[in-house]
Amino acid sequence: MTDSRKRASLCAAVLAVLVFVPLVSDLGSRVMNLMVTLFIYIILAEGWNVIGGYTGQVNLGIVAFFGVSTMVTHFLWKAGLPIFVAISSGTLSAVVLAVLIGLPTLRLRGMYFAVGTIALAQASQTIVANVFTRQVSMPGSFSANYSLSPRYYLGLILACASVGVVHVVARSKVGLALAALRDDEGAARVTGVRVFRYKVTALMISAALAGLAGGLYGYVRLSFWQVASVFSPSWTFDAVLSVVVGGAGTLFGPVVGSVFLVVLSELFANTLGQAHLIVFGFVFILVVLFLPQGLMGGADLLRRRKMSSRPEAGIEAQAPPIGGRP
Amino acid sequence: MLTPINCRRNNVLEVNHIDVFHDDLQALWDVSMTIAAGEIVSLVGSNGAGKSTLMQAICGVSKPRAGSILFDGARIDRLAPHRVVEKGICMVPEGRRLFPRMSILENLEVGASVKTARKTRRETLDWVYEVFPVLKARSGQRAGTLSGGEQQMLAIGRALMSRPRLLLIDEMSLGLSPVAAQSIAGVVREVNAPRMLTILLVEQDVQLALTLAQRGYVIENGRIVGMGPAAALLCSEEIKEAYLGMGSAQR
Amino acid sequence: MSAVIQALLIGIVVGALYSLVALGFGLIMGVMRFVNIAHGSFIIIGGYIAYWLFTLWGIDPYLSIPAVMVCMFVMGLLLYRLALAPLLKYPRAEMRMDKSLLITFGVTWVLDNAVTLVWTPDTRSVITPYSGSTIGIFGARLGLVGLTGLVIAVLITVFLHLLLTRTYFGKHVRAATEDSGAASLSGVNVQRTYLISCGIAAALGGVAGVVIVSSYSVAPSGGLNWLLIAMVVIVLAGEGNITAILPAGLILGVLQSMSTLVVSPAYQQPISLIVFILVLLLRPNGLFAHGGMDDR
Repeated sequence: MTDSRKRASLCAAVLAVLVFVPLVSDLGSRVMNLMVTLFIYIILAEGWNVIGGYTGQVNLGIVAFFGVSTMVTHFLWKAGLPIFVAISSGTLSAVVLAVLIGLPTLRLRGMYFAVGTIALAQASQTIVANVFTRQVSMPGSFSANYSLSPRYYLGLILACASVGVVHVVARSKVGLALAALRDDEGAARVTGVRVFRYKVTALMISAALAGLAGGLYGYVRLSFWQVASVFSPSWTFDAVLSVVVGGAGTLFGPVVGSVFLVVLSELFANTLGQAHLIVFGFVFILVVLFLPQGLMGGADLLRRRKMSSRPEAGIEAQAPPIGGRP
Repeated sequence: MLTPINCRRNNVLEVNHIDVFHDDLQALWDVSMTIAAGEIVSLVGSNGAGKSTLMQAICGVSKPRAGSILFDGARIDRLAPHRVVEKGICMVPEGRRLFPRMSILENLEVGASVKTARKTRRETLDWVYEVFPVLKARSGQRAGTLSGGEQQMLAIGRALMSRPRLLLIDEMSLGLSPVAAQSIAGVVREVNAPRMLTILLVEQDVQLALTLAQRGYVIENGRIVGMGPAAALLCSEEIKEAYLGMGSAQR
Repeated sequence: MSAVIQALLIGIVVGALYSLVALGFGLIMGVMRFVNIAHGSFIIIGGYIAYWLFTLWGIDPYLSIPAVMVCMFVMGLLLYRLALAPLLKYPRAEMRMDKSLLITFGVTWVLDNAVTLVWTPDTRSVITPYSGSTIGIFGARLGLVGLTGLVIAVLITVFLHLLLTRTYFGKHVRAATEDSGAASLSGVNVQRTYLISCGIAAALGGVAGVVIVSSYSVAPSGGLNWLLIAMVVIVLAGEGNITAILPAGLILGVLQSMSTLVVSPAYQQPISLIVFILVLLLRPNGLFAHGGMDDR
């Protein structure tokens, strides 16, 4: 059990750094902004992980849930509601949207779900672009009182919460059912797993996390030059990239992937400009082809191989992993 | 009751000590087989014994992890299935696997896909229609609407269109009535008769298999446990063990 | 009443374009069970090539169709070799489809950003001397450009049908579609059939792009919108049903066009989303599924 204890103490150490360092020293708004962005990415990525990684349903329009939450959060907050109510409402609206698209599409093959989510995202972008043609922003009072600190800590809490949610779900009955249906839907159905119900549940959890990310974004960003950008497919791509590179179906894969994404974006955006997006695209394709389990998944495999080469491992090592890649 | 094979005969197919795996599960252990030109050879064994696996290995669908397969002296075990067809081996798959939405004629035409067969497909088609008049009569009909026996005829016809020198038939009588099975067996004898077409067939019905063939192999649990002249095999111990699980020849 | 006729006829013209857009996507999906998200990008690139040829050398877009088809054919071959062929190692169709979703999503990302880099995010369209001409039919006025698009769509559909039914290659494609293993055992080189089909599918996308750049415009971000149209048409036609693509496209076009009589034209996309959802709920096998059609 020393492995998990090692991991737990590593997590605690990282958390301690994240909590205390900004309290004692001034990291500057650029670093703080970067961290908040990282947190948003982590939450969104864990959201995609639930539906795409653990359930095996490829969602190519998760930005719809993200964007709807951002809009709802923005307008409710602007209307005077407290930010927490606004974010919660945003999250709720994302879940409602998920149910609306999930019910017709999740009963069918994976392709239809992918199409449905793309359609939802594109339609949302079109509607929003037509309704909000001018700049959308908060009144001046909001920007006068703007401080990064509460946003940073809220982001940290939500990011940890998202990892926690995924952890709990993966170990629960829901998680086991999802793993079963991801590996072989037909077999799962035959053994009595209510496949459709679990898929919808997974989608709702995924949308809730995406909604949290969107709500946080609505808290962080006060003005939108072109508000339809909140529904841009690049959010989806960034989430998918993070999860796939980090390791779909693993707990920390999305975290690792998001860090990777944010760090590389910072490094390359200045040198390569627009082209860095193309580089990311290639990295993504290479990972899908050659390292489909991602970084964390690959690490898991290595660890299991080391274990199975020990003579006393025996039967244990041959048992299929729960909640991990098949 | 094992009979040694005469090594000086003209062996068209040689399977040499192959091991075949399905993912990580071993399905065939050290399997060897020879087939001489013009023979009809039967492969018998109970369900799951490895008959289809062996057929698939010969056709190139599965690649053996050890050993080799030679056709006319040249190695074919590394070739893709369509290349194996080019070399002159064609299989009638288990369950027929026709193209249900295509017509009888189109199914036959696809059978003649390899370059050499395509050139002579007119004559081959005439020959197939001679062997199976029913197919000619209904040549525009969709393959999915045929009866079991007619489907088997079409499947064999399709395989014959590639002008094979070795024809493999996997589960010849599966899903057929006894009458239809006998009729197919008659066709098998008929196409083999001019001694130009060597046939390896897998057949559940041991009686049918070993009366049709000259020689047979018995496979059990992925290993060859018996071989010899068909008539002798029919009343041998190996057959009883393989099908009824009696005796000491366990894995 | 004349507004209705106008909407109907425009719907037919637009619908023909929709079916052209869907053909390439449907081919890959039907034959190989791969979802090619990058199809939209192929369409846009086809349009950009036509635009380039027109701007640099004054070649009329419809005359540049052969060149566009050749370029896109090569791109389709590359897509298959580099991105799709490696997915064949997964034996299960569901997993192949999921992986193809992911990988072609990545390909779209690369292509769209590359296009933005080369041609800037601006919208481009080709304006020829006849771009504005219209013809009067049944009391409605239809653009000449749009009608040419209709003719092209019909021609291509007929050509594809002939290819699939009369040629040996077409028989290989149909055989591989129905049972790729059995096709292989019959001597069909299934991988090469897939390769060429991918090339054809991309070429078809390119032709659609040419029609689009002359009738409307292309922009790097437009790919996903056209992909969506392709997907909705395929859902209407029923998966794997290539011959139903033309009527399905026409139906979608007419539905969308008629909807403009009641809602603003800007909301066409949400209309296709609604159509998509309705078809999924009511007729998941497509509008044209008969009793004899196998459900795969």
